[in-house]
Amino acid sequence: MIMVRAIIRPDKKDAILYELSSAGFNAATVYDVVGRGKQKGIKFGDVIYDEIPKSLIMLVVNDEDKDDVLEVILQHAKVGENGSFGDGKIFVSSIDEVYTVSSGAAGL
Amino acid sequence: MKEIIAVVRMNKVSDTKRALIGVGAAGFTALKVMGRGRLVEDKTVIAERRKTLLALSRSDEHNTEKIVTEFLDGTRLFPRRMFTVLAHDQDVPKFIKAIVDANKTEYKVGDGKIFVVPVMDAVRVRTKESGDAAI
Repeated sequence: MIMVRAIIRPDKKDAILYELSSAGFNAATVYDVVGRGKQKGIKFGDVIYDEIPKSLIMLVVNDEDKDDVLEVILQHAKVGENGSFGDGKIFVSSIDEVYTVSSGAAGL
Repeated sequence: MKEIIAVVRMNKVSDTKRALIGVGAAGFTALKVMGRGRLVEDKTVIAERRKTLLALSRSDEHNTEKIVTEFLDGTRLFPRRMFTVLAHDQDVPKFIKAIVDANKTEYKVGDGKIFVVPVMDAVRVRTKESGDAAI
């Protein structure tokens, strides 16, 4: 199993969650984060904003679903035809075990 | 070294904290998150709660039915608390059992998930200890 953590624009959150649900990946955890990227934040005149609000969507899926999930997020997270700075990043990490509390059973 | 990420109900936070201390979890980080789980396919699981919620609502609200359905079938995000706990490999089953026992309810859905993530290294800032000594 893998954990996908996508840092995305907050205004794209609802659309991505809707599309993920339609694609069969309903389960997700969402929280708000602040951060900056390679562009070192945004500079307006003398003012630098380097704590830019973003949303983080975390979901755990089976290995074979990885490409489908990434496809959905990549397609709906970007602004404009070719994407723009600040659209976010996706991190994929491995998960050893998953347990469901209500049943206590291992597995998704 | 493992990181245990547990997403639990808001009203089970103190129970979870107590359970973690009980099994000797050194420390933890907790975050407020929003989450949703698998879609409920077996409608009989939520039939009872659906009935209760419909009985609570006023009958003159035309979209009550829709709201209650959305509320229960898992398409909405609900507030949850996310705990991250670092654990030695041999402590993982113990911690998981403690979290499961503290968070189980009779509702059958929405009790949360626990993820066990491998961690490569940890460093204690104060002493620069790393590896297992830092937990």
